[in-house]
Amino acid sequence: MSEVSIVPAPDLSGLRRAFLLAEDRVGHYPEFRDFLARAFDLDAKGLAEPGYLRAPSGGVYVLVFIGRSGELFPAGVEISALLPALAPLDEDVADRDLWAILRWVIEGVGGEWRIEDLDATGRLYRIGAAT
Amino acid sequence: MRAAENDAPPDWPYETRHARVNGWRMAYIDEGEGKPVLLLHGNPSWGWLWRKTVPPLLAAGCRVIVPDQIGFGRSEKPTREHAHTLDGHAANLAALAARLDLRDLTVVCQDWGGPTGLTFALSNPERVRALTIMSTWAWPEPAAEFHTRIFPWRMMHAPLVGPYLLGRHAALVGRGMYLSVVDRERFRHEAQPVYEAALPDASSRLLTWTWPRWIPLGRDARAYERFAWLERELQKTTWPTLLIWGREDEVFDAETFATRFKAMLPHAEGPHLVTGRHFLQEDSGAEIGVMIAGFLGRLDGGAA
Repeated sequence: MSEVSIVPAPDLSGLRRAFLLAEDRVGHYPEFRDFLARAFDLDAKGLAEPGYLRAPSGGVYVLVFIGRSGELFPAGVEISALLPALAPLDEDVADRDLWAILRWVIEGVGGEWRIEDLDATGRLYRIGAAT
Repeated sequence: MRAAENDAPPDWPYETRHARVNGWRMAYIDEGEGKPVLLLHGNPSWGWLWRKTVPPLLAAGCRVIVPDQIGFGRSEKPTREHAHTLDGHAANLAALAARLDLRDLTVVCQDWGGPTGLTFALSNPERVRALTIMSTWAWPEPAAEFHTRIFPWRMMHAPLVGPYLLGRHAALVGRGMYLSVVDRERFRHEAQPVYEAALPDASSRLLTWTWPRWIPLGRDARAYERFAWLERELQKTTWPTLLIWGREDEVFDAETFATRFKAMLPHAEGPHLVTGRHFLQEDSGAEIGVMIAGFLGRLDGGAA
């Protein structure tokens, strides 16, 4: 059971986006783009609104989908944490949440992409959140 | 040992120079006099990878040019993936060679120094005298078995996973290189901090997950045609060529990859096997320098 879930757009007043990572080429393996398009209904919504995820810490993360002329949508995606406007980022919490989001993505992509392989890759490279 | 991005690393007493190449700032060293030798690194290293190879070449009377390819080392590091293409990186080398008017040049390449350097050589044949090829490839298929596996290779640079693992966590420049040398303890203490310091921030490590995505895994790969051209044209060449391979190389294993280069270039010397995994310069850099110097000496009619 994934600890990550899609949530409605929160009330953004008093919050800021704390940028965490950018993926310029989400269709490098097309099944990743297909999963995001499916999960967030992007074929219908297009660029109209970002996606929001609640992560294991309880924090909410915003996914901003990027379009590039001549490429299937979304071409890229940016992930930011939603934080109280003037609060610093807890990097350890954000890192664990990002790892959980990656596991959610891999689970959703499915097929030959397995959470077990993500976890093994994380352990091989000694990623704290993976151990 | 901790190292900072602009610290002078050990065994690298050379002046860092800069040239504009295709609008980017490229760092390089240019030492010695004589016929030029261009040493080309790949992902995720920089010119310092050749630190043990440079002295024997200088001692043999070579001029040695070692660029940090754009995106690595002390060169400019573009922050958008679309800034990086195989053709663009080859053109960067062409721009540097034109800027320095390099002729009678020996191109020495390893990892992505191979596809970029060999593409440069084939598109600038009037500048080239000889080649040395190490732990790389120059054809569209088949890919190395390692590169076809989900665990760990394709997972490591998969969408979103790449920016996290290789960007935020420096997985390739840290533990990735560590796993790809023979003497890991020495590497961990002496070399790993220097490589990590050269790519200190997640955004500076963009090319470490971008290059893996340029390895063709099928006919629809964006670099497939370039690699097909590379294979086709390379096997027409008659340049004196030296093949050096790491005995312990598990990425581009000698039995598959050095053998294939030898079949493409039957006139090539070697393959000579040295102690080394993929980053064979870390374990046998000086020996490689002596080998290249001897090879060039024989071309000049010497007895080396």
